Amino acid sequence: MSIRKTLFRTGILLLLLTAAGLLSSCSRETDRIRVTLWHQMSVSERDVLAQAIEQFNANQSRIEVVALFRETEELRSGYQAAALAGTGPDLIYGPSDQIGPFSTMGIIRALNPYFSELELREFLDKALTSIGDSLYQIGDRIGNHLTLVYNRELMPVPPRDTDELISMGKELTRDLDGDGRIDQYGLVWNYTEPYFFVPFLTGFGGRLLDEQNRPDLNKPATIKAFQFVSALRDSHKITPIECDYNVADALFKEGRAAMLINGDWSWQSYLEAGIDMAIAPIPRVTLTGKWPAPLVSPRGYSLNVNSDSVHTSAALLFMKYMLSRDIQEAFATQVKVLPSHKQLQADPELMSDPILRNSALQMSYGTPMPVVSELRAVWDAMRPVYQAVLGGYLPPRPAARMIQQDALSKIEEMNLDIEGGSFAIGFRLTLLLLAVFGGLWQRRNIALFLQTLKKNRLAYYMILPAAVVILLTILYPFVYNLVLSFSNMSLHNFRNWEIVGFQNYLKVFSEPIFYTVFGKTILWTVLNLLFHVSLGVMLAVVLHRYLPGKGIYRMLLILPWAIPQYITALTWRGMFNAEYGAINLVLTKYLSLPMINWLHQPAEAFSACVVTNVWLGFPFMMVIALGGLQSIPLSLYEAASVDGASRLRQFFTITLPLLKPVMMPAIVLGTIWTFNNLNVMWLVSNGGEPGDHTHILVSYVYKAAFNLYRYGYAAALSVLIFLILLALGVTMLRRSRATASVYH
Amino acid sequence: MRKDPVYLRILIYVGLTVFTLITLFPIMRVVSISLRPGSQLLSTSLALIPENWTFAAYWELLFERPFLIWLWNSTLIALTVTLTGVALAATAGYAFSRFRFIGRGAGMIGLLTTQMFPATMLLLPLYIIIAYLHLINTFIGLIILYSATALPFCIWQMKGFFDTIPFSLEEAARIDGCTRWSAFYKVILPLAAPALVITALFSFMTAWSEYIVAAQILQDELLYTLPLGLKAFQTNMNTEWGLYAAASVLVSIPVVILFLVLSRWLVSGLTLGSVKG
Repeated sequence: MSIRKTLFRTGILLLLLTAAGLLSSCSRETDRIRVTLWHQMSVSERDVLAQAIEQFNANQSRIEVVALFRETEELRSGYQAAALAGTGPDLIYGPSDQIGPFSTMGIIRALNPYFSELELREFLDKALTSIGDSLYQIGDRIGNHLTLVYNRELMPVPPRDTDELISMGKELTRDLDGDGRIDQYGLVWNYTEPYFFVPFLTGFGGRLLDEQNRPDLNKPATIKAFQFVSALRDSHKITPIECDYNVADALFKEGRAAMLINGDWSWQSYLEAGIDMAIAPIPRVTLTGKWPAPLVSPRGYSLNVNSDSVHTSAALLFMKYMLSRDIQEAFATQVKVLPSHKQLQADPELMSDPILRNSALQMSYGTPMPVVSELRAVWDAMRPVYQAVLGGYLPPRPAARMIQQDALSKIEEMNLDIEGGSFAIGFRLTLLLLAVFGGLWQRRNIALFLQTLKKNRLAYYMILPAAVVILLTILYPFVYNLVLSFSNMSLHNFRNWEIVGFQNYLKVFSEPIFYTVFGKTILWTVLNLLFHVSLGVMLAVVLHRYLPGKGIYRMLLILPWAIPQYITALTWRGMFNAEYGAINLVLTKYLSLPMINWLHQPAEAFSACVVTNVWLGFPFMMVIALGGLQSIPLSLYEAASVDGASRLRQFFTITLPLLKPVMMPAIVLGTIWTFNNLNVMWLVSNGGEPGDHTHILVSYVYKAAFNLYRYGYAAALSVLIFLILLALGVTMLRRSRATASVYH
Repeated sequence: MRKDPVYLRILIYVGLTVFTLITLFPIMRVVSISLRPGSQLLSTSLALIPENWTFAAYWELLFERPFLIWLWNSTLIALTVTLTGVALAATAGYAFSRFRFIGRGAGMIGLLTTQMFPATMLLLPLYIIIAYLHLINTFIGLIILYSATALPFCIWQMKGFFDTIPFSLEEAARIDGCTRWSAFYKVILPLAAPALVITALFSFMTAWSEYIVAAQILQDELLYTLPLGLKAFQTNMNTEWGLYAAASVLVSIPVVILFLVLSRWLVSGLTLGSVKG
């Protein structure tokens, strides 16, 4: 069967399928009021939620509730986009720390008019999240707090203070098989993440924010906590050299760790993994006598500001149902979360569960999670500096000072409120003038275009459909961002932003970090492309030869392209782990090379990202080169052989030049994609670890836009990335003359 | 096809096998996550088949989750995008390769520029137009967006390949009485089969693996595509790794099948010997 016939037949089939699919997706309309809820519940919580919704829908004849899970970041960015477009779900459910930004942006509704004093008195105060006098969220549970989890098989009684933690930890850190490697650790936890550092910060008497919500980190307590955490690993050696969330999780589930610090979301999975586990408060700090105070936050429901009155009242009905005692009890018994209902918290039968009881005890020592947006700036400032301390290239004392300064300046940037003014009129005038001048400058071409329109009719017809589809989707977002880059869109001017001028661009250029990150981006792009193309072409040339069974190799080698990136990138991160990763095991065991600390040193972490991305990207280039090799007539090689040209010479004089027209688009576009590849580096380096050294320009855009809500600044940075790539792309094309045909 | 001497062929086999094994190692890790009980991403053991291995994750995925619905949605969307991509790119690529018209150079560069803007910043305005066009929660909205994303590369790829096909073929066809269109459709298009395959595979993958845009547009679990369905197993610090890995393995199978089907044309070495010199 020829490819033409196949295309044609699949086409007809697909049109039918699409029609069927579209019809089926339309038929879900009902006459009930549809209330949508976006939530962030874990898989096991979702089962309880689904039961509750089913029951609610069965009892209501006029309302139908539909729930949709959205991962934390997606809920945030998706909800912001939807709210800005005037739509979105009627209810959102999530932790209280999203309330600060959402209320500042003005995209959630105050709940005060809809709940009486009496109704509110049913809930613990901690469950009610207000900003000023306005109540924005009512929690159905309180928690999200870290506790000490211990394996009772290894440790019957938990430590009472940090001295005991260290002595017991030392006893339980063991090399079981005598091969010089440690097989079991006393304590594992995700200690590189600031959230997991807070318990010890508070245990030494420190805090994140003061009463006025200003960072309060340049304090002796911060320094002592830094020293304590580093000492657990370096002098007491009771925690692994490299330990992120997944490493800690794996070690504990395999019974290779006696103690773990983790949150209430994780307990269920340790029970399911068959670990005889119990929880206890994180041990008291011996030096200060204080209990560590992990962050505690409620999770609950908020109302969309865009919902009409009908949907709002239906949503409220559902919200009250979900907050009721019965539903809270179902969640508490089935997924072991602490309810926010006062009667349940005082219910002796429910609280006889050892996990809930100890969880409540730990919670009573905890500090409430600040709901102000400033907290995000504190996390952002803290993460790189804290990791630099752990990496050993920054002493604790200057680090504490640095975190304080960075946090202050980030808060200032986040809250920056630039006044609009006369610039807006000038801006529009300039745009108009540019269009007119552009038209005049190109007037000869425009005239020529009109003259030759008829002659080239077929060409324009052939391009038109593609052009329409592309312009429809690209043009508006592009212009939108261009305008945004001159605007003051930010946390405080989210819905009412205006054009203010060149401030965002000046800001980008004035930051020295821009230039170093730019350098890293270039290095990243060049290295990746080099390996992608050379590996791809090499494999294609080999697989183009006479080689029985090459089809199997071809199929296996495209697998890195076929399998979802998210999981393979994280698997690679696991393979780079210093103690347990496959790469170091091969290096040390079989090649007798020294261990490399891949993920906690800047240059090594960068190479780890490059290796992962090379692995992900070479199959694509291989497929393109395989296709390209088909277009090279064999007769050319025959002629060359007759002339006595060597294999190598044939490769350079025939294969490479004739591959060029087919490879060039992939190379140019590969450059652009790699330059803007956020995913791989973000996943492998866990968002820029160590200490924000593994970033490329796009990850800065991402951080600016989504961590600090500086949309105007992020748009300006994006426009600059666009201009850099435009210059790069045009140069590459000119050099390679890819727009010209080889036969001309 | 030229044959290599035996020693060289053995060398090639050894090299290829070693390289393939290294390449497959991370994928084998994903397979072993999918067989591991108790939702755990990493392991300290290097064994490919874990202790107490189980197919529970696959079972749960296929029979207790809407995986098959997601598979159907994804297949529908990806195949439509593939077809649109191939059809529009073949014609546009041909025009860019064979015609000399005003706006040709600008158009070629213009296509590239669509890929240059960081995608994260385009989401918000994209959502606004999609909402304006009432295409939220529809497949059409997604199909249009994916086609637009895949087309620039596809057009360039087709154009590059058409450039390697000599003009003399169409001239001969025209002399035999073909119109310009039928010369393209009947003579040139079949010769461009390898490029059509690349274009098809690329369009398919664009639609098959994308989730950021899909997450904005699809707001009903029964309309989800596979990557979105997979994302639903991922909660903040509490991912269902077993399900995620099992789904990842299953998701890659259709791609491999498609590649196997298409590779017949990718490497068939259509007789370009028809034109000599």
